[in-house]
Amino acid sequence: MLDFFNTFIKSAFIENMILSYFLGMCSYLAVSKSVKTATGLGLAVIFVQGITIPVNWLISEYLLVETGIFGIDLTFLRFILFIAVIASMVQLVEMVVEKVSPALYNSLGIFLPLITVNCAILGGSLFMISREYNFPNAVAFGLGGGMGWALAIIAIAAIREKIRYSNIPAPLQGLGIAFIITGLMGMAFMSLMGIDPAAFFKY
Amino acid sequence: MGLIRFFKKIEPDKTKHPFMHTLYDGFFSFVFVPNHTTSNGVHIRDGMDLKRLMTFVVIALIPAYLFGIYNIGHQHFIAMKEFPGFFEAANLKFFYGLIKIIPIFIVANVVGLGLEFYYAYKRGHNIEEGFLVTGALIPLIMPPDIPLWILALAVVFAVIIGKEAFGGTGMNIWNIALLTRMFVFFAYPTSITGDTVWVSGFETLKVGAAADYSWWHTGLLNTIFDWFGWLKFDPSGVIADGFSGATPLGIGAEGGWEGIVSRYPNGVSDLFWGKIPGSIGETSKPLIILGGIFLLVTRVASWRIMLGAVLGTALTAILLNFWGATPMMQIPWYYQFFIGSALFAIVFMATDPVTAASTNKGKWIYGFFIGFLAIVIRVLNPAYPEGWMLAIIFMNTLAPMIDYYTIQNHIKKRLKRA
Repeated sequence: MLDFFNTFIKSAFIENMILSYFLGMCSYLAVSKSVKTATGLGLAVIFVQGITIPVNWLISEYLLVETGIFGIDLTFLRFILFIAVIASMVQLVEMVVEKVSPALYNSLGIFLPLITVNCAILGGSLFMISREYNFPNAVAFGLGGGMGWALAIIAIAAIREKIRYSNIPAPLQGLGIAFIITGLMGMAFMSLMGIDPAAFFKY
Repeated sequence: MGLIRFFKKIEPDKTKHPFMHTLYDGFFSFVFVPNHTTSNGVHIRDGMDLKRLMTFVVIALIPAYLFGIYNIGHQHFIAMKEFPGFFEAANLKFFYGLIKIIPIFIVANVVGLGLEFYYAYKRGHNIEEGFLVTGALIPLIMPPDIPLWILALAVVFAVIIGKEAFGGTGMNIWNIALLTRMFVFFAYPTSITGDTVWVSGFETLKVGAAADYSWWHTGLLNTIFDWFGWLKFDPSGVIADGFSGATPLGIGAEGGWEGIVSRYPNGVSDLFWGKIPGSIGETSKPLIILGGIFLLVTRVASWRIMLGAVLGTALTAILLNFWGATPMMQIPWYYQFFIGSALFAIVFMATDPVTAASTNKGKWIYGFFIGFLAIVIRVLNPAYPEGWMLAIIFMNTLAPMIDYYTIQNHIKKRLKRA
């Protein structure tokens, strides 16, 4: 249980997907112009991340390895299967969003299906493999990673809404200032780096 | 009206010398309120304009400044086990501190204001007093021995990236003074985070190291002191046996509260009055509180943020008291305000109206989380000894988000009522 919280806090704040690994930058920069759409995308990413990582954990643990159901080493199929799981999850999210909130669907545009190729999502699944998480950890990592990503995109969207009418130098308008904001946000998130929740849960 | 006539006489031509005119305008509007009026659009007329606001903050900082100057000298002589009484050799201590702080102040302000003037001219707006408070705050949050070139570099970074890129005064998202310190903190950690850099005036802080006095001390000041028959700087002074330059936070991580108290001759009262090593302006608690009261009475600073931060600090520290696993967690919660830069950050840094949350409910949340995060970083994060700067920068990042959701929440409530 403590392990679960540890991984959750770590992946949401301390090892934030965007601000310390710079994963998922494309949609982060493109969709962060208004808080409303950013919140929508953030929720979508939490959902997709939270489902795909545990599912991928199950797949790689029970199907792909030699000790699994098929009894042969299928790890070379890892990428393709992970992508397939992610794509089907995204398809599901897309259908739900289109049905529930057509306005959000329109404002997200191409970036909703593009969650499929969002590096944070695939990166999360691959981190889960390389860090050899167990199942509860994989669930925590999926939820935490998604929430960290959502927090970062909502925060930058709020900042970009605040500076919408600022007199920003012409060459920096749009993406330029977004990159500067991202860098400074990364610096701000460094304040939590070094906290090791596991060390304190021992007491 | 001699002064205004003088100003009218030296006014440079706007088209021929645009840069000179910008400079002139900056100084002119500093002395006189310009009499041209805006003719279109909605605007608020208030005697409390940006300039008065900034001036009040600077006035509130003066006590901390004077004490900081004196304390640099005091700590310097403490290291040599000379003049342990606080008011002994006051002339030496005061002028020692003055020689330390003047270059820091000049570099911070010349670089910052220079950039401000340049951008005002380049981007065609009037010079705004945005740097006035920042330039006064920066020396107070630096260790006394900060190399001046690092300081200059940090100010350039903070002003250009943190402010001008965002559109100038009042548009920045992060506190400029804290960005300056943050830059030094991450780019040149050895000159700011070490445990032993806070006592000034020695090449190294080892026992037996000699005080390095320059011509200013032994030449100029000693001659002047000689005329009055005062004490003089003694160039043969060395760091005495048993000296350690560690700051209270450095000691606290190992020895807990007892370790901190036993380190200073008068225990808690030294910590309270500020006779401890630390950043220049952060040590004296009563004088910071004095400045804080002044800011509250003049309504420059928001009491919601201050109270929120105090509550956040206290609650988090009480919770950690119950946990009590490390020596740092066992420090009684009320003493968390006595060590490090807690009060200075709450009073002068967190309340910066530009970078803080601007809705009333948002201010409570903003303040509370600053206190919470600062204590979490200070106590739970082994990587950094102190958390206030990092906590405030972190909450600056989230302040627009807090505001957005506070407003949305309010709109929803009003719609329901309608």
